[in-house]
Amino acid sequence: MISRVADHCFWLGRYLERVESTARVLYVTQTMAGDVELSPRQCWQPVVIVSGVSEPFAARFGADATGDGELVQRYMTWDEQNPTSIQRSVSAARENARSIREVVSLEAWEALNELHLFLQGPRATAEYDQERFFFYRRVRNAMQLTIGLLRSTMLHDTPLDFIWLGVILERSSQTARLLDVHHHAMTSMELHRVVQAALWLSILRACSGFEPFMKRHQGRVTRDAVAAFLVTEPQFPRSIRYCVHQGYLTLSSIRPPSARDLPGGVALERLRVLDHWLSEVQPAALEQGSIHELLTHVVDETAGTCSDIGRELLGYAA
Amino acid sequence: MQTQSQSQSQGAPLPDHLFSGYRTLEGAYDELLLPDGAPRPEFQAVVKLLSAIAPEELARCQNLAELALLNQGVTFSVYADERGQEKIFPFCLLPRVISARDWDHLDRGLQQRVRALQLFLDDVYGDQRILDSGKVPRELVLGSKHYLPMLRGVRPPGQVRIHIAGIDLIRDPAGTFRVLEDNLRTPSGVSYVVENRLVSKRVLPQAVDQAKIHRVDHYPPRLAETLRSVSPRDPDQSVVVVLTPGPFNSAYFEHSFLARTMGLELVQAADLFVDQDEVFLRTTRGPRRVDVIYRRTDEAFIDPEVFRPDSLLGVRGLIRAYVKGNVTLANAPGNGVADDKAIYAFVPDMIRFYLSEEPLLEQVPTYVCAREDDRRHVVDHLGELVVKAVDEAGGYGMLMGPQSTQAQRDEFRKRIEAEPRKYIAQPRVELSTCPTWDPKAGRAVARRVDLRPYILTSREGPWVLPGGLTRVALVEGSYVVNSSQGGGSKDTWVQKPLP
Repeated sequence: MISRVADHCFWLGRYLERVESTARVLYVTQTMAGDVELSPRQCWQPVVIVSGVSEPFAARFGADATGDGELVQRYMTWDEQNPTSIQRSVSAARENARSIREVVSLEAWEALNELHLFLQGPRATAEYDQERFFFYRRVRNAMQLTIGLLRSTMLHDTPLDFIWLGVILERSSQTARLLDVHHHAMTSMELHRVVQAALWLSILRACSGFEPFMKRHQGRVTRDAVAAFLVTEPQFPRSIRYCVHQGYLTLSSIRPPSARDLPGGVALERLRVLDHWLSEVQPAALEQGSIHELLTHVVDETAGTCSDIGRELLGYAA
Repeated sequence: MQTQSQSQSQGAPLPDHLFSGYRTLEGAYDELLLPDGAPRPEFQAVVKLLSAIAPEELARCQNLAELALLNQGVTFSVYADERGQEKIFPFCLLPRVISARDWDHLDRGLQQRVRALQLFLDDVYGDQRILDSGKVPRELVLGSKHYLPMLRGVRPPGQVRIHIAGIDLIRDPAGTFRVLEDNLRTPSGVSYVVENRLVSKRVLPQAVDQAKIHRVDHYPPRLAETLRSVSPRDPDQSVVVVLTPGPFNSAYFEHSFLARTMGLELVQAADLFVDQDEVFLRTTRGPRRVDVIYRRTDEAFIDPEVFRPDSLLGVRGLIRAYVKGNVTLANAPGNGVADDKAIYAFVPDMIRFYLSEEPLLEQVPTYVCAREDDRRHVVDHLGELVVKAVDEAGGYGMLMGPQSTQAQRDEFRKRIEAEPRKYIAQPRVELSTCPTWDPKAGRAVARRVDLRPYILTSREGPWVLPGGLTRVALVEGSYVVNSSQGGGSKDTWVQKPLP
């Protein structure tokens, strides 16, 4: 497969997952802000931190601006200067797809292009103003549809592997950052047990993990149980362990471990080590507050893997 | 539309249908209707089918069709606009129909023309018999900026040079098709032919079905077969790619469309490299050899070693690999010398010279300013002629004599005197018209059209796609059909012969 095309595939996957995640987080936070005894700032600040844009946000709007939920939502949805906003990420996903139109199936392309055109038009702002929940839901659905169509209408070979690799690595770091930010915030706050439980449920919802979690824990919601679930549950498709393992399998099919003369060995080895390390993490070990170190390690290694992939397979300069 | 067509009794006038009040244009041939509003005899059935569509229904379908094109990203980029701006190529649902008899004539005429042009190219890059014979002035050929002397003596793999031709035709007031120009380098537009049919079938399924027309969706597989057939190696083992300048090119949609529908890789120059006169693709698994390149990039940018040393675009060494016979380039480099607007004037002579046949297709009488007599006539009659720069395309660099101002004519007179080789002139030929949907008026109006059929040439010889791109000047009174200047397109329905 052409390296440039692989690069577009990889980033298409990353942007699709990023948009879906951002829309889901905004949807959940909006819900949470309505019914929990938290200050608006406590609700909305994590959103900008998780997306890694707290510095540019504060620089533009002031240090206390995260207390303004409308402002945060506008920034995360429409802002042209915010590289993680829904609008910009959808455009970026579409630009990547448009550069490889011959690779992306027509159905998937249409789903993505329709969302892009919708966001450019007046109907989108009207829906955002009047039916906020519906708007976020539409964005999320369009992304899920696109990702689903890619998997159900494309050949399951290298181009799709690269898209899926982008999706899964983006998802792994999204889950890690989300958990890290909230875990930190809630450990430092004195909150009633009921409020705490409600917050952890919101985090599960932000990862589409509410129902899967309940099936595993039958209603016993604790900080450590949620954290352990999001990190180590091998059967939950958004847990860090699941994502890293999928990433390893996907990269193995792009570049088999036995094919020593093909490029990609460094990235594969890094993922293999991380995957193995995660498989040995015991849920009990997370209870001692080492979770921040663990999550930092995951985020760093995922980023490292992405730059290895770029250098070895996508033709980036070393 | 179903209910209405059934409620109409046979032959009764339709009260308010698409063509009511349709006025043909004085002095122009209308493709579908006679001046009295009755359908041409060969199109009675089609006109009846179309008349059954209520104007409101057509308006609705027209909107659906445009939305479908937009959502699918069937767009082109406009250079003159803001960078990256994409537009749909305006599409009119009312088809342009060509009778089986007319098509049979065009089919034979186009094959003949392409065969002759191919022989001409072989000749000017070979023995140059036609130049020795004096049938085509030597300096006109050798002085063309598209003539590439370094390729003299090079025989392309598969012996084909014009793999894909787009020949522009117009129809004069007598109803005679005439060749307006030949496009033998990278003719574009065929993706719209296929896409337009898809949209027509979706929104006018019954009309398409009952009109008994040739299909056009086999073009991509046919093109792939053509490309494989001219590979320097075993066609079944050959790697064929489509080379595009990239997503910012105005025809990018078409490049990706063709790659997608043929199942080929769409590559950019930076994805290719040449090693020991073989061409390779950079892949995630290392280099892979390429045998055939369907290039949609301008010749000037394919190999900086040869054409533009200052350019960073292109694939260094590509022409060397081609000269060695290791890679097929489609179309072959150097073809521009045969679709030059001045050389055009000599195509009928080529047909006689190489094929010993009389040309089947008419063309437009042309004054070649490089010829002393012609030039004098042109400068004296600027107000009646259309002057064209030989190396400009897309409707640029033209003087429309009858509509021009004195200042424009003076300007062109100066340019012609300074560089006569660069100009030709033709009498203005009235284009034919075709009923075209006017959303403001809510009915069909007469608008001017042209036609670009596509001809594929494989090792076995030429084949004409039964259809083509009908471009339409959407603006009232306009003659300009180019997409970059307010033109649109129509589906072209070629009728099958009666059984």
